[in-house]
Amino acid sequence: MIHMEENPQNVTAVDLVVAIPTFNEAASIGRAVEIVGQGLKEYFPDRQAVVINCDNHSLDGTRDAFFKANTSVPRIYLSTEPSRRGKGANLRMLFEKVQELNAQVVVVLEADISNLSPSWVPLFAEPVIRGAAYVTPLYLRHKYESTLTSCLVYPLSRCLYGRRVRQLDAGDCAFRGELAAAFLEAPAWSEPVEATGIDVWMGTVALTSRQPVWQTFVGAPKKHRMKDPFAHLSVRFRQVLTTLFEQMAVYEPFWRRVKWSKPTALFNLDGQEMDTPPIVEVNAARLFQRFHEGFQEFDGLWRDAFDPMGYNKLHEIRSMSFEQFTFPTQTWAALLFDAAAAYRRLGEDDRAKAALVDSLLPLYLGKVVSYVKRTERMSVQQAEEHVEDMCAVFEENKPYLLERWPH
Amino acid sequence: MAKILVVDDEEHIRLLYSEELREAGYEVITADSGYKLLERIEEEKPDLVILDIKMVDYDGLDLLQDIRARFYDLPVILSTAYDTFKEDAKSIAADYYVVKSFDLTELKKKIAMALETHLPEKD
Repeated sequence: MIHMEENPQNVTAVDLVVAIPTFNEAASIGRAVEIVGQGLKEYFPDRQAVVINCDNHSLDGTRDAFFKANTSVPRIYLSTEPSRRGKGANLRMLFEKVQELNAQVVVVLEADISNLSPSWVPLFAEPVIRGAAYVTPLYLRHKYESTLTSCLVYPLSRCLYGRRVRQLDAGDCAFRGELAAAFLEAPAWSEPVEATGIDVWMGTVALTSRQPVWQTFVGAPKKHRMKDPFAHLSVRFRQVLTTLFEQMAVYEPFWRRVKWSKPTALFNLDGQEMDTPPIVEVNAARLFQRFHEGFQEFDGLWRDAFDPMGYNKLHEIRSMSFEQFTFPTQTWAALLFDAAAAYRRLGEDDRAKAALVDSLLPLYLGKVVSYVKRTERMSVQQAEEHVEDMCAVFEENKPYLLERWPH
Repeated sequence: MAKILVVDDEEHIRLLYSEELREAGYEVITADSGYKLLERIEEEKPDLVILDIKMVDYDGLDLLQDIRARFYDLPVILSTAYDTFKEDAKSIAADYYVVKSFDLTELKKKIAMALETHLPEKD
């Protein structure tokens, strides 16, 4: 898997790894390495540490910028083969290297975080030192940031795997070194996982390993390159949902036995909030239009995939005007459960499975419209309580999933 | 019979919870503060803890973090007279949050849910 490795300081064993996955990040990797280096020197001066750049064979000079960064912390550069892309492919190299280095603590931070500070290194590493096997961040988020997480990933993963991990797919994480072996051996590795499905995939592997998962309060938003939340949504939606559905098939014996959910341990609760999350604007009218367009393209597919009651309910929802529009969470959960079961029944028919997943995007956008309308006058905290209520609805309706899932 | 530890500095709450929860079929033990709470949990091995947030000498939300760090899966229900603490991020380490009331229907429902929560061991 590791196509190319440069290890100029000949590092052979370490306690702590900070990994930075990249593809064409020459403009940001140097700064990220210097900040991480400061964090390692300041907070972990007695630990053997290395910064690893896991790269997709970037041609923009990422490798050079990585080695030119001004830090005394040892560095290793790993690259996939030129044709191989995706954060998942990068992290698979990392898992191999972590095993080789026998590292105890691994932190993964994305390269383009503009408000990254040295204190983020202990925020991720310290929970592992204190006993966590896997750590996800709790970034300060505006209520409309990452609606895919709020309306889909969090409620679904929580009701399946029983642990309340709010930002499972945040992009940054930490894990105990020995979990690298579990990642290398875990099933359901696929093309979507090699791309953006990797965060959900790792989180699910950790949750089903039944080792302690913690959440760490970062006390700040994650500020990275301005991205239109809905610009690349169709690709990301497909990769994330495919990953979730594929893992549902693999981990069925586990999630069948999960009832309700439990909290995680938390870290850095006394940390000061340093910043406020940037406001995210959502064009609900445009999303409403895309919800309606979905009926023209996917109605036949939905009729086959959904239970008649859910399908009829969906048409009832369609008949609502924008002003009165609401997409009940119970219906949303039932349609997702129906779709997961239908996906399972499709077996190896990858084309049909991809079409089914793509057909769910307009429905998700409809749910986002409903969420935005419901929470528009709410504070961030009130919106969080609404998300918790949605999760409770998913958990209450899980028996329906068990009933619909093919035997 | 599930054993429940009620931690509250108000005697009438401890009495109310003890009486009603015993009637509901639970074994109930009590503590009037957070003093040596972790040791008490270690010794008594309760199946669930009902924890007051606002006690004279102890902050229930801080105690909750200590419990969660040491007894990762022990169910904890926060019980408080104030629903504003729900907005404190520390409260998300609790299994459930209930506002104190003389009607224990909601509390009993949450106890039942917390006790029947099941996460399997690894296959």
